[in-house]
Amino acid sequence: MRTGTANTYNNALQQLFQRQSELAAQQEKLTSGNRVNRASDDPQAAALAERAMVKISRVETDQRALEVQRGAISTAETTLGDATELVRSVRELVIQSGNAGNLPADRSVLAKKMSDLRDQLLTLANRSDSNGVPLFGGLGSSSAPFADIPAGVQYQAIPGQRSTTTTGLPGAMNGQAIWMDVKSGNGSFEVGLNVANNGAAWTDAGTVTAPGALTGNNYSVNFSVVNGLTTYDVVNTTTSVTVATGQPYTDGAPVQFDGMSIVVHGQPANGDAVSVAPSAQTNIFKVLDDAISGVDNKPGGNRMSQTVALALRQIDTGLDKLQAARSQAGVWLNRADSINSAQEARTIALKEDKSRAIELDMVKGISDFKLLDTGYQAALQSYAQIQKLSLFNFIN
Amino acid sequence: MSSLLNIGARALLANQLALQTAGNNVANVNTAGYSRQSVLLQSVAGQFTGAGYYGNGVEAATVLRNHSDFLTRQSMLTGSVSAADGKRLDMLKQLEDLFPGGADGLGAAIGDMLNAFSDVASAPSDLSARTTVLARADELASRFKATASRLSTMQQGVQTELRTTADSINSLATRIARANQQIASEQGSGHSANDLQDQRDELLKQLGALVKTTNIPADDGSVTVFLAGSQPLVLGQTVAPVSITTDEFGDPGKSKLSITRGGTTVALDETTLGGGALSGLLRFQNTDLVDAGNLLGRMALALGTRMNEQQRLGLDLNGVAGGDMFSLGAMPLVLPAGANTGSASVQVAVQTTPSSGATSLQASDYEMTFASATTGTIRRVSDGQLTSFSAVPAQIDGLNLQVSGAAAAGDRFLVTPFRQTAGSIDIALGSPRALAMASTVAASAGSANLGTLTLQSLLPQQANVNLNQTVTLTFTGAGTFNVSGTGTGNPTGVAYVPGQSINYNGWALTFKGTPQIGDTYTVQANAYPGINGGNAEAMMALRDAPMFDGASATDGYASLMTQIGVKVQSAGFSASVSQSIASHTEADRAAVSGVNLDEEAARLLQFQQAYQASAKMLQVAQTVFDTLLQNLSR
Repeated sequence: MRTGTANTYNNALQQLFQRQSELAAQQEKLTSGNRVNRASDDPQAAALAERAMVKISRVETDQRALEVQRGAISTAETTLGDATELVRSVRELVIQSGNAGNLPADRSVLAKKMSDLRDQLLTLANRSDSNGVPLFGGLGSSSAPFADIPAGVQYQAIPGQRSTTTTGLPGAMNGQAIWMDVKSGNGSFEVGLNVANNGAAWTDAGTVTAPGALTGNNYSVNFSVVNGLTTYDVVNTTTSVTVATGQPYTDGAPVQFDGMSIVVHGQPANGDAVSVAPSAQTNIFKVLDDAISGVDNKPGGNRMSQTVALALRQIDTGLDKLQAARSQAGVWLNRADSINSAQEARTIALKEDKSRAIELDMVKGISDFKLLDTGYQAALQSYAQIQKLSLFNFIN
Repeated sequence: MSSLLNIGARALLANQLALQTAGNNVANVNTAGYSRQSVLLQSVAGQFTGAGYYGNGVEAATVLRNHSDFLTRQSMLTGSVSAADGKRLDMLKQLEDLFPGGADGLGAAIGDMLNAFSDVASAPSDLSARTTVLARADELASRFKATASRLSTMQQGVQTELRTTADSINSLATRIARANQQIASEQGSGHSANDLQDQRDELLKQLGALVKTTNIPADDGSVTVFLAGSQPLVLGQTVAPVSITTDEFGDPGKSKLSITRGGTTVALDETTLGGGALSGLLRFQNTDLVDAGNLLGRMALALGTRMNEQQRLGLDLNGVAGGDMFSLGAMPLVLPAGANTGSASVQVAVQTTPSSGATSLQASDYEMTFASATTGTIRRVSDGQLTSFSAVPAQIDGLNLQVSGAAAAGDRFLVTPFRQTAGSIDIALGSPRALAMASTVAASAGSANLGTLTLQSLLPQQANVNLNQTVTLTFTGAGTFNVSGTGTGNPTGVAYVPGQSINYNGWALTFKGTPQIGDTYTVQANAYPGINGGNAEAMMALRDAPMFDGASATDGYASLMTQIGVKVQSAGFSASVSQSIASHTEADRAAVSGVNLDEEAARLLQFQQAYQASAKMLQVAQTVFDTLLQNLSR
């Protein structure tokens, strides 16, 4: 077949251009380090890389938020530790107040100390993280969730606890559950001396002996002293049913009825009574306030003993709450560590995905480049050789 | 003797012509469209004598043009297709550069903006975190605008190129008509006007590179040139000029090639053009550029609308309900067809009732055809799917089409919802305090709750009149709860699944953990908007919300890139295939018509020798004559 000379030259040139542009494209890949430089090079891989990039920045964002949350929870944990110390100090002072050798004036001094500690405790409860978000704001609050109004401390926030997620921690703890949820008395019922009592009897906080037998009703233990013999009756004041009558009273022996056991000390007077009511919800600040007002400038005696016993029992309940919250914070901090390492692993995996999708395998890239380079040189040489071949060269 | 002299002289002349022709071939080796010529030699009829016929030598009958109509036409047609594919590929490559991936892309801007809400969620009252959100949103808006403006620059460039191409077509058609005239006038000579025909073929080829034509030769040697199979562009010596016009809707983003003959202008259907750079340009402009604009505009409109809706569900730092975050520009264009007889006009907007249409938008234009004033069909242009409507306002794919005035049967409208948004999107908030990052609702746990229930999220999701109403969930067991509150219908015994959202009144509530019997949770108006990032979390949740054909907001750009990448890739494949076919058919044509220098060298030698031999013949004749004269003189 004959070929047109001009066409042959054109085709040869086209081939050279083609090889040259392939070489340039390969060079671009080598210099950029990417196999895919624009979407059309490999649309699927480009999309994969784009999505991986989006996810990587998402992880970075989540990690930044996690650091803020970790900071808040870690501050909360420290704060709860401080609060525990404070409440323990108050507890010491309460015990000290109960000491029979104290004069009312001594107790006033102790009460002032307690009052000071109680104010510090309130400051701790209102503490914020570095961004001004209260640590114990629950599901939302003003900048100081615990308001000290004359009626006592109020929780001005939305109670509730945020969950941890796969990428983050809650930014605040539920102040309601930690500070504002202390059961009065021993957590099940509360024992008190009647205001009109004349005798020297006082009780402990009581214990639950049979949880199944608890009724949640109010009771009154009525003492009568007849001819030097002390007996007591137990009346369920809610149902007006007498539970026990004429039981002999022994100092220090438990009075037991309906699953409850109360130890009464001292000698009651005739007509004295001990009231038993189911526990109500109170808060650590109220507990402290009651203890302070119970000892402030008060004389010793059975009422002081009663106040101290109740205060100690309630403070212990409050301490339990604080410590439980503190260990919860500890668990979350551990969780933050594991989220952190999981996220880091995820970033590495995503970067690998992205790299696999669009980055050039350098060894292969260089070898391809060599191949193309050799091909181009061969094309140039053959072109140079062939253009010398012309019949005109042989005509003289 | 005289006959030998005659034969020699004739041979000398014939070979000289052959040498001249070979020389002409050599001279025109690089002339575009030149067809190799060769002299047709024929023997002169012999003279009868008693001893038979004696030859009278050679003569040049004519100059032949080595040419195959079939191959020339093939080369022209494949060249047309290759020009169309090549042009479209060039344009698509430019288009692809407008949608880069990585940190410079729109996708990264969207991701960065939505991620910025995380810092606000961490520190709701921190003005610097809020300022960052505004800066990121501004950056996103300006990337949208920059891309839209480059698209529009491209559109203008394409429009200019289309006009220039139409002018070139007209000029070529005029020259072809003139060539037709010259060829017809020389038809009478009995010889073919080789060089004129070459020139005309070359003009036809140039024309074919611009637009595919069908050429039918006429008896007088002229060629009739048809466009789109049937429209005569050149008829003998007359030309019907072409021009670039808009479609029936006057859509500024689309063009048509029109031809005017006898005062009547006919718009040609782009699909019938078949090939040529003009066809590639038209396809790029009417399909690829429009698609890209719609994809970009849909992204801006969907994201902007969705974020505006979410922003309106929140409370700003002053405790006031949020305003729009982005201003999305003027109402989208709806163009009536020129032939409409009714007085109706159509307004299009993103659907707001019964639910927001922002997440179900399709990147396409729509054609609305009325069968009566309130009924008809809507055709989605991207895939041709027809949907009928029986009342107005009509709703389709998240759009609300409002009709005002009276439409007549047969009236048509082109709805282009996404052309303008990307170019005009702008940030509407002036102050970081105006970012409505607090949730309008808050959930609170009952203070006597005993279970381990914790709140995973409470997101305001849709506008609802009862959004702020107090709703109480009371758990009646570990797996069920009762609901009470305005707007909920007070259902009882609803199943509780940890991690699954509970939706009432436009909010979505998700719990983790196990409730105890009697535990309650109350959703109510947020009393503490000052330190609350609930709406910022809802904004962050948009990252995973299905928004673009089911792809999430942050993945939507990746699929846009892929769509354009796949277009470029497949256009690249077809361009390389048609290029290779074109170069093969051109090689085939050149094999017949092209000049081969080696061949011409051989021919030169061949005819030179023949010429020398012919000259020798004259010498012999002279010698013979001289011999005779000498002998006679003795």
